[in-house]
Order: sequence, then C-alpha cells, then structure tokens
Amino acid sequence: MTALIEIENLTVAFRSKGREVRAVEGVSLSVEARESHGLVGESGSGKSTILRAICGMAPVTGGSIRIGGRPVPTPRGRAFSTEVQMVFQDPYASLHPRHTIDRTLSEPLAIHGLPGADARVVQALTEVGLPPAFRFRYPHQLSGGQRQRVAIARALMLKPKILLLDEPTSALDASVQAEVLNLLNRLRAEQGLTFLMVSHDLAVIDHMCDRIMVLQHGRSVEEITRDDLAHARMTTAYARSLFDASADRMLDGTTEPTS
Amino acid sequence: MTALRAWLSDPNPASRRQARLGQAWLAWQRIRRNRLAMAGLVIVGLLLLVAILAPLIAPHDPLAQNLSRRLLPPGTPGNLLGTDDFGRDIFSRIIHGARITLYIIALVAVTAPVLGLLIGTVAGYFGGWIDAALMRLTDIFLAFPRLILALALVAVLGPGIENAVLAIALTAWPPYARVARAETLTVRSSDYIAAIRLQGASAPRIIAGHVVPMCLPSVVIRVTLDMAGVILIAAGLGFLGLGVLPPTPEWGLMISSGRKYLFEQWWVATMPGLAIFIVSLGFNLLGDGLRDVLDPRSAAR
Repeated sequence: MTALIEIENLTVAFRSKGREVRAVEGVSLSVEARESHGLVGESGSGKSTILRAICGMAPVTGGSIRIGGRPVPTPRGRAFSTEVQMVFQDPYASLHPRHTIDRTLSEPLAIHGLPGADARVVQALTEVGLPPAFRFRYPHQLSGGQRQRVAIARALMLKPKILLLDEPTSALDASVQAEVLNLLNRLRAEQGLTFLMVSHDLAVIDHMCDRIMVLQHGRSVEEITRDDLAHARMTTAYARSLFDASADRMLDGTTEPTS
Repeated sequence: MTALRAWLSDPNPASRRQARLGQAWLAWQRIRRNRLAMAGLVIVGLLLLVAILAPLIAPHDPLAQNLSRRLLPPGTPGNLLGTDDFGRDIFSRIIHGARITLYIIALVAVTAPVLGLLIGTVAGYFGGWIDAALMRLTDIFLAFPRLILALALVAVLGPGIENAVLAIALTAWPPYARVARAETLTVRSSDYIAAIRLQGASAPRIIAGHVVPMCLPSVVIRVTLDMAGVILIAAGLGFLGLGVLPPTPEWGLMISSGRKYLFEQWWVATMPGLAIFIVSLGFNLLGDGLRDVLDPRSAAR
C-alpha cells in the first residue's frame, strides 16, 4: 500500500540576485493515512519550505511530491484544495482583516459552489470550540488563540484529508498553545485527518506526532519515532542538541519515565 | 436611541448587515472626534444640499440677463454678491454652479478611481510582464502635466462638460493605479491571500474580493484629497474656454469672464473663486479626516 503523502528527493531552490539558494535538498519522506508526522529543525532549516512546496507556494526544482499515489498537478487546482489544506503560523496575518469570520469561513464553500453555507459555518465554529455568536465578528475582535481556531476551522471547511500545520502554536502563549494542540488532536481523531506538522519545539512535536524528521540546513538529518524521542534515543549530535534544549519542558507532559 | 446604539456596538452581531453597520458606526465615532474632518464634512454636505435645492435657494434665474443692472457691487439690495457684466446675479450663478461642480466631481469619482484600482491591482497581483507593461503605461500618463493632457484631449474631442469629465478622468487615474499597486504588493504575499489561493480561488475572485478591499481605504483617501484638484482642473478648462460652454454658470468660466473687470469690479471673479476655494478646502479637510479613520496603518486595531 502506498503512503498518503510521498515526497521523494525534494529539492527547492530559490534564485535571488543571480545566486541560487537551496532551501531544501534531497529530502524524502512518506506519511501514512491518519498518521501525524513532525518536521523539526531550527529556523532556516527548510521545514516550512517543504510545506510550501507541497501547496505550490514554493518552486519544486527537483524530486517529486505524490498525494494518494498521484503526482500533484501544477498549478495545484481545486481538486487539490479539497485534499490538502494548511494552517499558518501567525494567526494575526492569516485572516483577512476586513472580512467577518462568517465571510472567511463561507468563502471556501462559495468557491467550490457547495450549498448550506449557513449551517456549515455554525457547525465549523462549534467544532473548533468557538461560540456561534462570534460568527459576525471581525478578526481584530478576537484573541490570538481564537483566531487560530478560526484558521483551523477555515482549513477544515472543505473536509480535506491532509492538514499541513506550519508552527500553528508558536505565536500563542503557553496555556493557549496547549488548548489549540488538544483541539488539533481531537479533530484528527474525529475526522481521521493526516497531519504534517512543522515546529522548532520538540515539546510540541512530542505531544502531537507519531514520527519525526529532524532537518538541518535543508537536509534530513534523522528520522525517529515518538518512542525514540521519549527515551532520548537519537543517533545524531544535532538531534540530541535539539532534544536537550527542550527536554525539561517535554518531561512535564509525558507520563513515561525516561532513562 | 440607546437601543440602536447598543445594537450597533454589540460585540456579537447577529447578521452580516449588523456587523457592517457596527463597523461603519465605529468609523463615524472616530471621524466625529476629528473637528477638522467634521468641518470638511459640513462643507461637502452644504455643497450637496445647495446643489440639490439650487432652484429653491437661488433668488434669480442664473441665465436671466439685465443690462441695466450690470456690474453692481456686492451688497446691492436684491443682488447679495453683486452682478456680472450681463447683469446676471452672481449669487444665483454660484448656487447653480454647485450642481455642475458636483456633477463633474461625481463623474470623475466613479470613473478614474475604478480604472486606477483595476489597473493597479491587476499589475500588482500578477507581477511580471503584465506589471511592467501596465506600469510603463501609467508612467507615460504620469509624465504629462495633467492640465496639458486634459487640454489636448478636449482639443481633440471638442469642448463640453462630458468631454471635460472624460479628459479629467483619463488624466486622473495613474496616481490611483500607483497607490493600488503599492497596496497590492504588500497584500499579495500575506498569509490570508495564500490561504484563499490554497482554497482554489480564481485570480479575479481574489483581486475583487480580497485585494480590492485592502486597497480601497487608501484610494478613497486619495480621491477625496484629489477632488480639490479635479475642481481646479475643471475650473481651469472652463477658464480656458475648453470645458463647459457659456452661458452655463460654471465657476471656472465665471472667473474667466470676470478677468476683464478684475481691477474695477473685483467681485465678478472673486466670488466664484471663493466658492472654489471653500469647496476645495472642504474636500481636503474631509480627506485628511478620512485618512485618520480609514488608513489601516494609523487605525488602532
């Protein structure tokens, strides 16, 4: 059986002022359906670029991306948008400041000509734990956590199978962060979603992901499972240094004792 | 009244209309605190009122000539602001002239910004050669002095109010295209545009529904500030005899006909000049106020 997301030898190169900058180089990964896969690394390691390349927001200069066994079309098209959606890092920048929540959530339905927008919007709001009374508010009338919930609701409007999460909680404070992560875990269980999640924070990744890929300078350094992470069984020095940086926060959340 | 206020400032609006009206009400609250903007709004409101009620307010027929009462000074009983060289009442002519001024402004306001917005957002959104082609076209139009280009167009099309409007509109759009393009460039790379693109929206939908609303405030501000310039160009065309044709009571034309008597009968040219000055000032003050209210960068979020 083929995996839901298959990325082979992906290379993303940007041309800036005649110089070629390779953001991602020869990265391969595969994510099974209903799996949650994490991408970790410091800033500039190319982890967000992989997500952007899947969505067609970054140029694929080498290698291939397949969703459900089929190579993704360029441009991505409407069929792609009902399969893959993305949640962005900054909830203050990812919602249109002059559209109400209602408009933001009903727009995807209007694009795809889907009926029953009113009921779907209310349902989507309740699913992400927002009161339906918020429906006609503007983004500036919401807090960061509430905005991110709206962004998650928007990504789920088209009932995609895959959700790409680009540091969905790094702009939020710790308590709100946990709420949003729990919400994402609940939605994944309820709707059978597949996650590909980017974070620089191993504690977040540990809470969310079954398998983790560690990236450095656009290359894959190591691939480990959650179990390996919990028992600090990483083989490369780079992965260990990332682990050491967030180990103390991670241990609070896990019940398993570490050696 | 308090029920209406509570309905407007409800943090949880129950409908699309209530949300929109609530936002408009907040903007109104902000503009009301700005005294200069209110002064501008009052002047523009008065212009509107005068234009609508012109036949009722004006004491005389603006076209009725009376050569026995020509060039009377202001304050003459029956002729508040005096009479011109054909004995026509200047006050009545200024009042009727408000209609023509407003007509020109309205026509320019619905044509030039729309054209500018369209060209600017399309150029900014698509980038590449489309951007280069459209912006060089804009540069060509910007390279001409506005009045000279309008003069050339009127000279080709022939004088008249519609042609004057067309000439002004064709010379007024490039700055709006510039503003809209600059705004589009900052919006284009934002996450909310990436999100809507990822949802499969077409380019026309993104431009019309998502980019234009972000450009609109700066363009509206620009339009209001430019209105003074439009009035002056219309008056300039009238003054040169290429805009509105006599005997229509257009303000620029009135100044032009008063030029001959400027030293002895100063009021013939001065009174319409004052009208242009006051209306231009009104639009400028309103534009400044709108900038404070609408500009996304200055508004508290």
